[in-house]
Amino acid sequence: MDTTVTYILLIIVAFIFFFPCLWLILASFSKSGTIYSFDGFFPKEYSFASFEKLFTDTSLYNYPQWFFNTLFVAAGSCVLGTFLTILTAYTMSRFEFKARKPIMKTTMVLGMFPSFMGMIAVYLLMTQFNLINHLWGLILIYSAGAPMGYLTQKGFFDTIPKAIDEAARIDGATNLQVFTKINLPLSKPMIVYTALTSFTWPWSDFILPKLLLKEKNLYTVAVGLMSLDETEFARFAAGSVFIAVPIVILYFCLVKNMVNGMAAGAVKG
Amino acid sequence: MKRKSALFLAVVMGISLLTGCGGTSESKTDAKSGQGTNGVFTGELEKNVTIRVLENDTAISKGYFDELINAFNEEYKDKGITAVDANMDQYLDLANDGPYGYGPDVLYQANDVIMQYAEGKHIYPLPVESMECYKEIPKTAWDAYKTEVDGNTYYCGVPINVQTAMLYYRTDLLPEDWQTTWDKDGNQVPDMVENWNDMYAYSLQRHQEDASKYGYMKAIYDVYFSSGFLFSYGGYVFGDNNTNPEDIGFSKGEAEKGAWVLSQLASAMNEECIDDTINTNAYGKLADGTYFATISTPDVYSTFLDELVMEYEKEGLSTEEAKTKAQENLVMTTVPKLPKSGDLSEENPELIDAKTMGGVNGYAVSAYTKAPNASLAFVEFAASYDMQVKRSEMLGVAPAREDAAEQVGGVSQLLYQNLEKGTIVLMPSIQEVAQIWTPAQTFFTDIAKDAFRSESEKKYPDITSMKAGLESVDKQIHDAIFTLK
Repeated sequence: MDTTVTYILLIIVAFIFFFPCLWLILASFSKSGTIYSFDGFFPKEYSFASFEKLFTDTSLYNYPQWFFNTLFVAAGSCVLGTFLTILTAYTMSRFEFKARKPIMKTTMVLGMFPSFMGMIAVYLLMTQFNLINHLWGLILIYSAGAPMGYLTQKGFFDTIPKAIDEAARIDGATNLQVFTKINLPLSKPMIVYTALTSFTWPWSDFILPKLLLKEKNLYTVAVGLMSLDETEFARFAAGSVFIAVPIVILYFCLVKNMVNGMAAGAVKG
Repeated sequence: MKRKSALFLAVVMGISLLTGCGGTSESKTDAKSGQGTNGVFTGELEKNVTIRVLENDTAISKGYFDELINAFNEEYKDKGITAVDANMDQYLDLANDGPYGYGPDVLYQANDVIMQYAEGKHIYPLPVESMECYKEIPKTAWDAYKTEVDGNTYYCGVPINVQTAMLYYRTDLLPEDWQTTWDKDGNQVPDMVENWNDMYAYSLQRHQEDASKYGYMKAIYDVYFSSGFLFSYGGYVFGDNNTNPEDIGFSKGEAEKGAWVLSQLASAMNEECIDDTINTNAYGKLADGTYFATISTPDVYSTFLDELVMEYEKEGLSTEEAKTKAQENLVMTTVPKLPKSGDLSEENPELIDAKTMGGVNGYAVSAYTKAPNASLAFVEFAASYDMQVKRSEMLGVAPAREDAAEQVGGVSQLLYQNLEKGTIVLMPSIQEVAQIWTPAQTFFTDIAKDAFRSESEKKYPDITSMKAGLESVDKQIHDAIFTLK
């Protein structure tokens, strides 16, 4: 009885959360292309026309280019951001130095402020570095901001016994060797988790690309979709659905490692 | 330790503050529109330059912009001047992006937008009197770009096409016997598209015959389209030809009659007229026959047409057949006449011309361009007779040039005539216009809502209360403009 009630509740909650996604997916297959021709909640007729238009009618709205830009920024931020975050977390976990505690406290306090608070400063800095209208500018900002969230990774490194490091050092290993040969192979789940989170942030971000990218061909998908005309609803829905595809695939491929990583970071040894 | 931390924080804060005190970037150039046109526009074309042009999305998607820049580049090939798409959002922010070198050199915008940039000195005044198009464009259109500084008159843009409210309807949705029952004057034009009384009667009839269908449908709350009804009865935005923000005139003359007309029209619509819904769904609803008529600007003719073609294709016609049929059945014409009394149920009313709010879209040259003379050459080329005719043919817009309007004929010529005789009231070009929208929108929303409220709940139950409501709008706008000045 208890299980039945739990399942019913879960199904209701799942339906509530899934319904908007279902609606958007069905709307993207709408033949008419406008929500005002729907029969109640859902389209009357279905077709692939919106998806076809999305990739072929690129004179004004170059979705394939936006998609590539998003992928470039997300992949670049993912690689660079993961590298910096893991290094930061490892340093904070393994090395004792004078400013360690103040830095940890400062990053924790700074992390409480929403990132868009510094947008004006970021814009002015990027104009001075001539990085407006450059996808690399976005990658640098995302990567530079990523280590601020190093605490989960630090928690993970804390769980790896320091005795292993000491044993390696007795055998003559350098700091770099201890990191690359011992700790890094043990941290695979955490690296996967970090890579995924570093990828998803720029993938769906709107404010920063809107601020820094002025040319339409450099838009990311989030900015591009917002620039669509009000009569382009089906294209908007198709674009929103398609943007989810790579990230869903990525999640399905790496979800096992990610769950391990999240659980590992939460338990202290 | 605490003292050290405090000292460190103080130093960091000090440095942060000082970062705001640096000199401006070298790339940031000052706008110099105040210095007049002679110093900048020397007539000597800059060599080997690329000018970035911001066009509107419709011109790009319909292929006109490609034709324009290709023709220009061919003409100026020898001089090393190349025009390219600025590749930016059509609603750009020149004030913020221009100073850092990220704005376009030439921009195509509505007159109110250009003139707001002009007030901020973000665009150059142009030597229009020496331009070939000067005499072909009516004074009213030039006035939309006129500004006076220290007793000198400057023009900050070149008018290209006229935008105003146009009536869209479908001839295949007319009653079968319209020639005998809806053409009293026998001029082969249906009465319902000639005057609002018949449009109102037909709207009621169509909805009565089939509850899911409507006659005329439009978002009443939309100030751009609804304010024309007030202007027709003596209302205006600002006094002294839209230049004096002290004199606000939404309630002036017998403007309340216009509000009454709107309330009667709302009663023949559904609740979607209260918000923006109809503005967005009109393309599809006119195509599927739910609406008989609506009002919009001429530049969206192709969107209405595309929707209708799709609808006919769904009915089984080939693309060519659907296109031909859609072109035959979709009509864009000037707005119907209004009854002098404001009473849409009056039999044989005395009719007056309907006024509409309008705008003049045109080109301007950014004050941050490094090639002002080449940019001016582009503007002159784009304003030429050939390009204006081509623009009108490809986009269906009404040219601001008299010779081009004559050549294109039809609605374009009618619009040109309306502009000259003053039934198109141009949107004010002063920055105070930003304050009119919210108060007016609130009033029109209540007018629309009243059509669906019970008698006791109506906010404006009679014409007297409408007058008071409009006076309140004037006061709110005045307060918004002057309270914080």
